[in-house]
Amino acid sequence: MLPHPPSARLLLPIAIPILAFACNEGLRPFRVPTTCPHGFVGICGTVRFRGALPDSTEAVYLVAYPTFPQSRNDLFNFVPFPPQSIPTADSSYFYTLGILNGRYEWVVAVWKKLGSFNPDFSNADSLLREAGYYRDRSDPTRPGVVVVNGSGTDSINIVVDFANMHPISYYFPAAAKQ
Amino acid sequence: MRILAIVPFVLASTLAAQGTSEVYGMVRDSTGKPIPAARVSVQGMLLSVNTDSRGEYRLSGVPAGTVILSAGHVIGYLAVFDTVSITASTPLRHDFVLRSQVMSLRPIVVTAAKRPQSLEDVVASVALLSDSDIAKRAVNTIDEAVDKAPGVQFLSGQVNIRGSSGFVQGLGSRVLLLVDGVPANQGDRGGISWDLLPVDDVERVEVVKGAGSALYGSAAFGGVVNLITREVPVGVHARLRATGGAYANPPYAEWRFRDFTGMHGGAELTSSYGREDLRGAVTVGGWRSDGYRQQDHQDHWQLAGKGDWRASPYTRLTVSGSWASDQYQVPLAWCERGGCDDRGQAYQPFLIDTSGLGSHTRSDKGYLTAVLARTPSERVHWQARASWLRTHFTDFQPTSRDDYGVADRFGGELRGEFRPDGGGSVVTVGAETGLSDITSNIFGGSHHQGEYAAYGEGERPLGGGGSPAHLTAGARIDFLTIDGGALSAVVSPRVGAVLPTGAGIWRASAGRGFRAPSLAERFVSTVVSGFTVDSNPNLKPEKAWTFEVGHARPIAGSARVDAALFWTEASQLIEPTVNTTVLKIQFQNVARARLAGLDLAVSANPLTPRLATTLGYTFLYARELSHDTVPQRPLAFRPRHLLTLGADYTAGGLSVGAEFRYSSRFERVELTPPSDPRVAVKVLDLRAGWARGPASVRVLVANALNYLYNYAPRALEPVRTVSVTFVFIY
Repeated sequence: MLPHPPSARLLLPIAIPILAFACNEGLRPFRVPTTCPHGFVGICGTVRFRGALPDSTEAVYLVAYPTFPQSRNDLFNFVPFPPQSIPTADSSYFYTLGILNGRYEWVVAVWKKLGSFNPDFSNADSLLREAGYYRDRSDPTRPGVVVVNGSGTDSINIVVDFANMHPISYYFPAAAKQ
Repeated sequence: MRILAIVPFVLASTLAAQGTSEVYGMVRDSTGKPIPAARVSVQGMLLSVNTDSRGEYRLSGVPAGTVILSAGHVIGYLAVFDTVSITASTPLRHDFVLRSQVMSLRPIVVTAAKRPQSLEDVVASVALLSDSDIAKRAVNTIDEAVDKAPGVQFLSGQVNIRGSSGFVQGLGSRVLLLVDGVPANQGDRGGISWDLLPVDDVERVEVVKGAGSALYGSAAFGGVVNLITREVPVGVHARLRATGGAYANPPYAEWRFRDFTGMHGGAELTSSYGREDLRGAVTVGGWRSDGYRQQDHQDHWQLAGKGDWRASPYTRLTVSGSWASDQYQVPLAWCERGGCDDRGQAYQPFLIDTSGLGSHTRSDKGYLTAVLARTPSERVHWQARASWLRTHFTDFQPTSRDDYGVADRFGGELRGEFRPDGGGSVVTVGAETGLSDITSNIFGGSHHQGEYAAYGEGERPLGGGGSPAHLTAGARIDFLTIDGGALSAVVSPRVGAVLPTGAGIWRASAGRGFRAPSLAERFVSTVVSGFTVDSNPNLKPEKAWTFEVGHARPIAGSARVDAALFWTEASQLIEPTVNTTVLKIQFQNVARARLAGLDLAVSANPLTPRLATTLGYTFLYARELSHDTVPQRPLAFRPRHLLTLGADYTAGGLSVGAEFRYSSRFERVELTPPSDPRVAVKVLDLRAGWARGPASVRVLVANALNYLYNYAPRALEPVRTVSVTFVFIY
């Protein structure tokens, strides 16, 4: 037994943090957003789907390239990694793609066919398709450049047309493989 | 320390005596209350026994003559050493009274130096969990109790000591698990099966922080956790532990996923019989759980045993083993929008993606070990051990092929402990081998890994007086070979010092840690998200230097503080890396890292001795240093602040308590989009217990505030769980 019991103030260092920290700020329900959420860093927008979803669909991914790929070797220089798949059940989908600050020259939806890549990716041309990309508003034939600067960049909308997808060889013919 | 000075004389007289006798009695505290599970030992011999639930002990085969008996090994009490005279064939009653203290400054630990030593002589930081610490937490597996030790954090089952491991899906633990000193990391993945042992078979846990490779080799990169099982008592005894409880439902209607309350329950029964020379115990048990989220059901069955043959007061053979079988569903990642019936929510943490429905795993694991220990003289102790650890898992995946892996890890060690001057100097030397054989469809077929090591460490007191300073120096060399290839060597030195002063005890150490890549990391071959994960047989061991300065001191007689500053420089860390030139994911030696910080543990009895409070705080600066094109950045899955507060009030057989854990939000995570929710962790556990005679009941409300959080990507940690545990000891 202590001859002079310490004051109850000794309990304060324990009680105060518990009370301060105990307020519940854990995971909470979060309704599907329609604009970039507050505090979010990345890009947001709506993906609209056209055409019939092929039966052989494994997934549709949304990725961003800091520079437009110059060769097949550049095709995996995308963010984020692992790539983020988007659901295709509805006719449209509002996405949020968390990526770091920077300039992105190609924000593209990639369709992936069921199946595994060969070890040397020699079958990538048959498994991957460009299904749609964010287009320059003044020249819709060209990819639009997106800049992320500490917040969410909104309205990066993309149309995915399952009837008009392009294989890798569309951009990089076999003769220009490397 | 004066007692130590007369040990040689006492031992000499003991050896000269003829015949044996029995010593029996009780161990009580200063109020007369019996102390169960206290260790009563004869100094300098392999004779020891634990008190039963009534605080009674009986120790036979004690050589006639003058011996030193000790009683202690109970956290919260000072050990007592008494000199007694034994007359052959004349039983002697000897009772002990242990004086309570906030924290005994002299608990004995066996892990830090591979031999028994006083905690105050250890050059590294050590956290201890007694059986009462484990019991009051009313846990089902031992990791749930170890999780609350200062500086320790489990991330979805992966143990971190001062941020050592992060989270890598259970692969390649940077912490070594020992069961009674025998390595028990999996032979294929290098991870840890925390349900390998029945929780009630564990008497205490020692956690040694910082690199321990100078004695333990690979995997002791960030620390060592040693599970020490109960001694088998003399006589016929039984121990029943039954537990049951319920999981809270999601607190939000949008996240409700079932229309019933999830339950869990189980039981363990241990029966033992012991004579003075031969003892054995068997534990059977099992538990099942509905889980707290979708597809989270688990069944667990367990069989464990321990046998002990004390051929003489100086020779002891211990054989122990355990086998556990789990069948569990695999929740995998929680459901993101569109991946399930999301009900308009961005994510559903209690549901899983429909692509993972039906996945389940069967996991069998077991070990068998034999240890022969002998103390031929007061200056020499040696022990030899052999062990076998087997793991076998099968992942059943409805939408793809099933994966399986079988791993056998055989181990052997011969260790000697010498006291050349019969005093405080100690030299420990040993040789150790570990052979792993695996067969798996995702780890590249069949592979074999051999580890051969030799080590030595010496401790020497400096100066005289009652509490001299100690210097420790040692090293270990490990030779590794894969599939019969060339040997590669790793040398791991360690030096340390302990300096007792009037104001407390200072300690300092510098040591090297390393971890050989697991066979899984070398040879994994699978497909993730459409990408090939390819093997990398050329992986090299991770290496690190760890430095630590620590100080322990009592404060005002009612508190104890232990603080340590630590600094680890790690290189060649193994991480999954996207190789853009070959378009594959591979484990590679890519990262350099720095982990530094403060580790603080405080225990106190403010206001009244009935109230015991604890505080554990770790400040962690964990940075991946720049390499190639990657700039310096926070190490993934490491919190900057880790705080644990505990308070327990005991009055007679009743006790109530609470424990609070805060872990700051990870600065960086991997393998998940940055947009995924990430929160700080604030978990409050409430507990109460009642004990009377051989029976006790404990109630635990874990995560009482039903705080929802995750550590690993898209993996919800347990919700509020109410458990009632009943223990009866015969």
